[in-house]
Amino acid sequence: MRLLAPLLLLAAGAPAQIRTVPLPSKSPLVTFRIVFATGSASDPAGKPGLAYLTAMMLANGGTADLTYKQLVDAFYPMAGGVAAQVDHEMCTFSGSTHVDNLTGYYKLLRGMLLTPGWRADDFKRVQDDAINALKVGLRGNNDEELAKEVMYANLYEGTPYGHYPGGSVSGLEKITLDDVKEFYRSQYTQNHLILGIAGGYSQAFLDNMKKDFRKLPENAGFQPRITAPRQIDSTRVAIVEKDTRSVAYSIGFPIAVTRGHPDYAALLLVSSYLGQHRMSSGLLYDRMREQRGLNYGDYAYIEYFPRGMFLMEPQPNLARQQQIFQLWIRPVEPPTAKFALRLALFELDKLCREGLSQEAFERSRGFLTKYVNVLTKTKRAELGYAIDSAYYRMPQYNDYLKTHLAGLTLDDVNRAIKTHLRSKRLVISIVSRNGEDLKRQLASEDASPMTYNSPKPPAITEEDQTVEKWPLNLRAADITVKPVAEVFQ
Amino acid sequence: MVSKLIIAACCATLAFAAQPPQKIFPYATVQEDLPNGLRLVTVPTDYANIVAAFIVVQTGSRNEVEPGHTGFAHLFEHLMFKGTEKLSQARYNETLNRIGAASNASTSDDFTVYHTTFSKEDLATVLMMEADRFQNLKYSEPEFKTETLAVLGEYNKNSSNPFRKLNEVLTDTAYDRHTYKHNAMGFLKDIQDMPNQYGYSLKFFDRYYRPEYTTIIVVGDVKPKAVRELADKYWAAWKHGSYQPDIPAEPPQEGPRTGHVDWPQQTLPIVTIGFKGPAYTDSAKDTAALDVLSMLAFSPNSDLYQKLVIQEQRADALNASAPSSVDPSLFTISARVKKAADLAYVQEQVLAAIKTFQEKPVDAARLDAARRRLRYEVALSMDNSETIAEIVASYVALRRSPDTMNKLFEQYASLTPEDVRQAAARYLVEAHRTIVTLTGVTLTGSGGDR
Repeated sequence: MRLLAPLLLLAAGAPAQIRTVPLPSKSPLVTFRIVFATGSASDPAGKPGLAYLTAMMLANGGTADLTYKQLVDAFYPMAGGVAAQVDHEMCTFSGSTHVDNLTGYYKLLRGMLLTPGWRADDFKRVQDDAINALKVGLRGNNDEELAKEVMYANLYEGTPYGHYPGGSVSGLEKITLDDVKEFYRSQYTQNHLILGIAGGYSQAFLDNMKKDFRKLPENAGFQPRITAPRQIDSTRVAIVEKDTRSVAYSIGFPIAVTRGHPDYAALLLVSSYLGQHRMSSGLLYDRMREQRGLNYGDYAYIEYFPRGMFLMEPQPNLARQQQIFQLWIRPVEPPTAKFALRLALFELDKLCREGLSQEAFERSRGFLTKYVNVLTKTKRAELGYAIDSAYYRMPQYNDYLKTHLAGLTLDDVNRAIKTHLRSKRLVISIVSRNGEDLKRQLASEDASPMTYNSPKPPAITEEDQTVEKWPLNLRAADITVKPVAEVFQ
Repeated sequence: MVSKLIIAACCATLAFAAQPPQKIFPYATVQEDLPNGLRLVTVPTDYANIVAAFIVVQTGSRNEVEPGHTGFAHLFEHLMFKGTEKLSQARYNETLNRIGAASNASTSDDFTVYHTTFSKEDLATVLMMEADRFQNLKYSEPEFKTETLAVLGEYNKNSSNPFRKLNEVLTDTAYDRHTYKHNAMGFLKDIQDMPNQYGYSLKFFDRYYRPEYTTIIVVGDVKPKAVRELADKYWAAWKHGSYQPDIPAEPPQEGPRTGHVDWPQQTLPIVTIGFKGPAYTDSAKDTAALDVLSMLAFSPNSDLYQKLVIQEQRADALNASAPSSVDPSLFTISARVKKAADLAYVQEQVLAAIKTFQEKPVDAARLDAARRRLRYEVALSMDNSETIAEIVASYVALRRSPDTMNKLFEQYASLTPEDVRQAAARYLVEAHRTIVTLTGVTLTGSGGDR
């Protein structure tokens, strides 16, 4: 059964027709997700961060009619606001209101997106915030996120995805208010727009909203060609050096599978089997945390998952034409860093060689078939997933996934592992102190024996004898060490 | 003896008007006590298929009264997943996996909450498994020791955030005797010593994992009678305990205190100011008044935020949180500034804003706007059963009843501008103040020394 995503309304030939994803209900709340299918992949050369700054100016600046203070005051009693999320292919503006306040809320939202104020003092504040988000937030306060984003930037170097969606410090510093206005003019267009709305609104309300957004230009000026990353010939490691207690890893490689690909359900099942955030049933969680106490948890994903440490589930509207397989190894104590990397690669290698057992397959499939309901438990999430399905031109996500999971066999899954996954030719990034010392350790095949604070079962100690000598196949030339201050500079 | 109380019986929709105030919690709720002291709160909602079970244990870092044993309430949040004779950890996880449940737990100063969200047909399975581990948890010393390392891993992953360190130092400086001196993670030295404390952990479980400390909250596509029958079936045999912790009272603070954190990395400077506030109350106006004060004085539409963050752009973050704990806790204000040279200025501005609120009653229209905002915040968040359960759990943690929320909102509704002024004058005083600053190795942020 191939259900269409909720009413992706494409016009009969008229370029100005606006895509809408409506989910009407009797709820007393109305949720908006307004997506422009453009993002940081469209940042011009030398100005990474332009898409991000543009979206932040809209979400955190005044309108033509209202200063930012007036806007904040107007939203305040409604408990309202508009949040922006920027990724390589999507800029999303989201917010909710009670139906009591629908008219007033929408008027503010419309002003923000259609008649921005472009005030210089707003721009200065938003630009400062963007630079500090990189310098202080990403570099300073969150080693796990830093490792993940460095891995992504390295993997996609030389492609439109080859920079952090939030830009670089020097790029952000160079961007002017005129650049932002130009990006808005050329990218915030009707053909990029997907209007998502859910809850207790009327059809007349939606019709008026569509009429309002027809004021945007019809077509975008520039659309990047999203290309696959360069082939990775051998594993490469980037160590980001900073004064930190522990060692954070991110490991990945590109895959040819996105949502809607025939192997999507099979690979999602595999990543769920390896582990997803804060679920204690994953393989990596069990092998690394539960059995060995190496860290707080270890997971795998087949889609971009920013801000994972703050989220139980991935957020929607991060759709990408290119995705990667990634392992998220949470910070480990420095003396166990080499062993932890070896164990992660040992488990990945084992998965690639042996695949899943029938029992693991059945268990993971059973889990995902039900868990998909949890993923879309809020209207916000349901609307977001519906918009993603519209973007990927695929059926409604829950039904699509359940149908494909039901049709999967163990052979399908193990074939998908053989086709798409590997334990060699990886991109690894590490956030650690004493970078040169770690580099020396990793470039040597010396054993990295584990010691524990309690006796371990023979199965673990025997396995450790293999893991502690697991070949990393790394040469010093494959490993770079960079001070944190130079990252995303 | 079985008591049963129907708390709210208004229709299960979210509609409300600001005047006159209706009960903020719009769902019909059944609250029952089992003979062993276990409390059961059932909230049927109109969100189909999904059920959220939140089990609140009124034990948090507040209960960690013995020196050297901070962090044990949080450690138990981990240990509770270690299985029983009947259901090993592996089987527990397999079952959750099979039923597609999202399950986790968290610990705060006052309570620990275990939560599972799942499809309605699995209610009996979940209540059975939860009952089993709450009554029959069993873990070996080696398993215990390994789990303490996962706790250290959690500390490690948190440790790159300077705000966490700042809060650690703030409470450690502000408190002398009360257990709010440490946070839920506990002191690092105690976490590092946890592997040696297996025996103490058994004692901790025996004390606090008892029905009189526990409330089960079931929200979603359920019928109260069926939930009660399952509770009787699986939880009735749990034995009431006898332990009462002797939580030391904090002596009155007799003068302002200060502290400083040298952060080993580059970051923007932060100042945080804590004032000794009251214990949570919904029978007087203090909690409601301080909550509204935190909004009016420090939220993004406040005069101070507009001045420091929007106009002068000397700070890039300003926020405050009002005390809402079982025992007296801190009213805190934090600001992150762009230039180290502005740290003192921003601190002065915060203190000056407090003085204004102490001297002059707030504008009645702004108080009304804050009240409306509070009600709409709740309405906007109650869009799924899991969040409703989470909200109920936060109030159950304080007073063991979801009606706590209605009582607090009645206090918000009754506040006058003079009430807010009096709360500011009474609690935000110099003698009860602790200021902690944090600065990094160099200033690297933007808008400052760029």
